[in-house]
Amino acid sequence: MSKIAEDPVLDPTIALPFPAAALPALRDPQLRKNVAHAIDVIQEKRGKLVVEKSDWQALRVSAAAIRTHALENLGSYLEQFEARCTAAGGHVHWASDAGEARQLILEILRKEGADEVIKIKTMTSAEIQLNPFLEAAGLSVYETDLAEIILQLGHQEPSHIVVPALHINRSQVREIFAQSMNRPDLPDDPQALTAAAREYLRRKFLQVPAAISGANFLIAETGGVVIVESEGNGRMCLTLPRTLITLAGIEKVLPCFNDLEVMLQVLARSATGERMNPYTSLWSGVTPGDGPQNFHVVLLDNGRSSILEKAKERQTLRCIRCGACMNACPVYRQTGGHAYGSVYPGPIGAILTPQLMQMRHAQSLPYASSLCGACYDVCPVKINIPEILIDLRAQVVDQERRSLGKFFDPLYLGLRIAALLFSRARLFHLAQKFGRIAAGLFTKRDGWIHSMPSVGGKWTQTRDLRGLPNQTFREWWQTREADRRRGR
Amino acid sequence: MRTSQSGRDRVLDRIRAATATIARDGADGRSAYVDLPREYINRGNLSHAAKVALLIERLREYNAEVSECTPSTLTDAIHHKLAASNRRRFVAPPGLPSAWMVPGFDWKIDDELSYEQIEGVDGVVTGSFCAVADSGTIALHHSPIEGRRVLTLLPDWHLCIVYTSQVVETLPEYFARVEKLPTLVTWISGPSATADIEMTRIKGVHGPRHLNVILVQD
Amino acid sequence: MRASLFITCYNDTLFPETGRAVVSLLERLGVTLDFHSQQTCCGQMHANTGFRAEAFSQAKRLVHLYADAENVVIPSSSCVAMIRDQFPGLFEDLGSETLRREFSALLPRIHELSEFLVDKLGVEDVGAYFPHRVTYHASCHGLRAIHLGDRPFRLLSKVRGLDLAPLPNLDRCCGFGGTFSVKNAEVSSAMLSVKLQDVFSTKAEYCTALDNSCLMHLGGAMHRQYAGMKTIHMALILASTESTPMEAFQ
Repeated sequence: MSKIAEDPVLDPTIALPFPAAALPALRDPQLRKNVAHAIDVIQEKRGKLVVEKSDWQALRVSAAAIRTHALENLGSYLEQFEARCTAAGGHVHWASDAGEARQLILEILRKEGADEVIKIKTMTSAEIQLNPFLEAAGLSVYETDLAEIILQLGHQEPSHIVVPALHINRSQVREIFAQSMNRPDLPDDPQALTAAAREYLRRKFLQVPAAISGANFLIAETGGVVIVESEGNGRMCLTLPRTLITLAGIEKVLPCFNDLEVMLQVLARSATGERMNPYTSLWSGVTPGDGPQNFHVVLLDNGRSSILEKAKERQTLRCIRCGACMNACPVYRQTGGHAYGSVYPGPIGAILTPQLMQMRHAQSLPYASSLCGACYDVCPVKINIPEILIDLRAQVVDQERRSLGKFFDPLYLGLRIAALLFSRARLFHLAQKFGRIAAGLFTKRDGWIHSMPSVGGKWTQTRDLRGLPNQTFREWWQTREADRRRGR
Repeated sequence: MRTSQSGRDRVLDRIRAATATIARDGADGRSAYVDLPREYINRGNLSHAAKVALLIERLREYNAEVSECTPSTLTDAIHHKLAASNRRRFVAPPGLPSAWMVPGFDWKIDDELSYEQIEGVDGVVTGSFCAVADSGTIALHHSPIEGRRVLTLLPDWHLCIVYTSQVVETLPEYFARVEKLPTLVTWISGPSATADIEMTRIKGVHGPRHLNVILVQD
Repeated sequence: MRASLFITCYNDTLFPETGRAVVSLLERLGVTLDFHSQQTCCGQMHANTGFRAEAFSQAKRLVHLYADAENVVIPSSSCVAMIRDQFPGLFEDLGSETLRREFSALLPRIHELSEFLVDKLGVEDVGAYFPHRVTYHASCHGLRAIHLGDRPFRLLSKVRGLDLAPLPNLDRCCGFGGTFSVKNAEVSSAMLSVKLQDVFSTKAEYCTALDNSCLMHLGGAMHRQYAGMKTIHMALILASTESTPMEAFQ
């Protein structure tokens, strides 16, 4: 079994910082292969569809504009959603934080007398750690997405927001199912494994009285909720039970039904490389004779309003959870999702997680990026992730630079000294000369540095550094100019 | 104990405070909505025949089985499809034309059937609201001819009748067709599928594993 | 044509031969070059690590320094990206209206090396001779931030004797990322090893780029591994002729 099964912690308040958290993944060739394979499949499909879509950039512009507009008018659109949903027979609740949301959901389920609940995959429910809470309260919680079942039965954590079990290969799935479904006969063929999952869930769909879903979008104009999926378990959960609870981040709202003409075109292509995913469902409130007659929406803040406040960072909330950024990310490709210590991994996780925590946790995540910009290129709602990463780094530094501990951190010290040197050319030249002498101490006979202490040692772990030349460019130029003046 | 109302106030207050500094022209910031950029393609330029051909191609890419007919040969086409399925028991939405319930098969008309009863049928036949050629999408608005949602969910085999006059090329054209905002929609773009295991696309997890379409040239 | 050379802090200190090659190349093409001795750094390292105030000071200094330059040529895409992408935000938040005006006036006169050659001088054939198999690495800043596009390829395609081997997965980051290379050294190394697989697969003798930052990272590993390949900034290739081969600059 993949070593990643050993305790990845997706709680930003206690997770290891990214550099340390990434180490087990980097040393796991199977994981890196699984992740690269999954990414390559989606990327290739997505790439073909984007080339084919001649108005792709125009769609991105519109998607970004629609989401920005919704966020800038969030209060009134949410109120409109609430009014329409309620008029259609739904109940809308508002939760400030994870604790309130969990409590609200439990109360609704208790009132319905439900001691079992089926779930459609929702990262928001993982964000608020809903499953352990409900289980501790004595309820049985059944995930119904194939990937989520794999994770639930295998006691593992998601590592991607669209394909959460992409770090697990077929023989690993076979092992999980064979054990937990008591099917030692199962082959590792994906077809057979999928059929086993279908059988396992069928009874649950027909009998469990309550379901919990997330929401891809909320439609203010109609009080509608939109769920985008592939397997059909979503349709099962939101059609068959008596009670349906939809947990949705407050940022999910779109102004009008017609805005889906943009969002649906960009979402499927970005998330799974399809023109349209197999099933998309929309429902408003309660329809007599069709589907759950008891419908609740729990709107979740949990730090989102604090992001909304910041003009530069507000764009983070445009996210439609497509996962394209992590598929494009060269860092994610090597580390997978668990290294990010959050249910939101990859580039979006690196900016969303610390902000949801109001910069009190996950401060290593804004640095978990080489700022290559691949994420920004693919984001369907044009979130300038590199720009936000840099801004969050500035926030982290502003927090940290006041602390005495960080004063003597070699990198901080080095950067402060460098700033001083860059402020005066004379100082910089002097530093260059001293640097040459100091570097000379580490320079080997081949003219290269093979090993350095402290921060430098992080470089020389895997790379040599060419020794400092005995003449800087400016020294060469000055000599040349002097020679010319002397007429040589 | 914090009430739901106070939760609402807290969240809305924070949201309002967070967005208070955004410049607005006019009292209702929502008037900015009409000025949002929409330079994307809002209608296609394929001929009717090409559009229908594209729809068929896209449906088949997702392994839906597609056949064509004319209005006068529709019942024959339905008969052909049902016979080829090797299935006997079918459920029909209450608004399905009686002519479509071709003889030689067991028909149950949905009148508050239980889930167990629907589980017991072999397939379902419905109409549709619209089909989008570009993505091979069929839109069900769950009118009487389309039936409530469980009818196209539990049975393993679904036959959907689409008139070519219901076919549009692009997704925005579908939205342009919608006159009354729907409260229930299911957009279907092929049979259920998953790619969660090693990205291998497996057809048919939950939801009908077999999607059949008859395109009626009207 | 007159131009002022902004050599960049790291080229000045670590890769002076790149500067020498740029001088030789541009003077050969008839450009009159000057070099402001007061120059130090554009502030990128500080900006990207979160030291905004320090980055602002350096940015301001740079703008003042080049206020009167006809053209500023910079042999580093990442520094040009810093100026174009981050100076505006820094000046918006921390600068004065005067500074913002000065910057707006300066901005059109900032050129990365390949931009200067292709767009400003209008040349693709710079008269270079470099009889080696070479692969070109597209740095992320060059690719995505300042959109160099096919300029590097147009220049390389005209170099006599050069055998250009295309690099697979050209748009994938090499893992340098500035301080990322030490703050996340292990991840950086993992990305590096994956990148090197692609680079070595080209069987080139040289891996070139328009940024010594990436080349320092790639070349440092090549050297550590005794790989039969070296890195070389494109300025050295373009400056090389039959009479002044690249060794002349080293």
